Amino acid sequence: MNTLVVLTVVDIVLLIAGLALYLWIVGSQLNRVATNLEECNDLVRAIKANAETIEGDLEHINRTGGVVAGALPLLYGMAEGIVVGATYDPKQVAERGPAVPASGRRRSRLHDGVGYMPDGPAPSPRPALVDRAESA
Amino acid sequence: MVLTDTQENLWWIAVIAGFVVVLAVAALLTILVLLVRTIDRRVVEVKATLTQAKANTADAALLGQTAAGVDLVLAEGLEHHLFLGRVLGKVRS
Repeated sequence: MNTLVVLTVVDIVLLIAGLALYLWIVGSQLNRVATNLEECNDLVRAIKANAETIEGDLEHINRTGGVVAGALPLLYGMAEGIVVGATYDPKQVAERGPAVPASGRRRSRLHDGVGYMPDGPAPSPRPALVDRAESA
Repeated sequence: MVLTDTQENLWWIAVIAGFVVVLAVAALLTILVLLVRTIDRRVVEVKATLTQAKANTADAALLGQTAAGVDLVLAEGLEHHLFLGRVLGKVRS
């Protein structure tokens, strides 16, 4: 009978001690899990705060970028028109002769300055110049 | 106190059943501990992933600055458009 009593006490003690040990182990593990999950919760909130601005900003960038991309071909066309209009084209320039004064050949006044008059004295300087210009 | 044979046999059966119950409880609690350990390990992995995701999204605020820069590009493009339009008109005339 003593053996039965001792075995019964051992049985009960083992049951209680085993339950206590396992509950302590599981409790510590669950505490660690809870701590990690709290940190995960904070991380998720931070990620949500970071990601809230992405959609609006990306839509803004896409809209503005689309406008820029649509306007670039127009700028290319205008720049090409400027290049075509400003480029020198020798075919469009008419062939011109040597440049001459608009008033004809200029009369040298060196002979008059020294008194040399190969055609003889003229009645007046003006008509003589007119005659010579007409003869030329 | 004197027990009868039947009572003693029943006590023995109860003691043996108690040991069996203790072993079963130990096995089930071992399984529970292993499962909770798996949960703990997975939670640590989730935490590491979330930490990386937080680091990846930390620079998302730069998108606002990029949007402002693209607006400046658009404004400058409009200035170019006006300038090229004026020059093109003079070249054609």
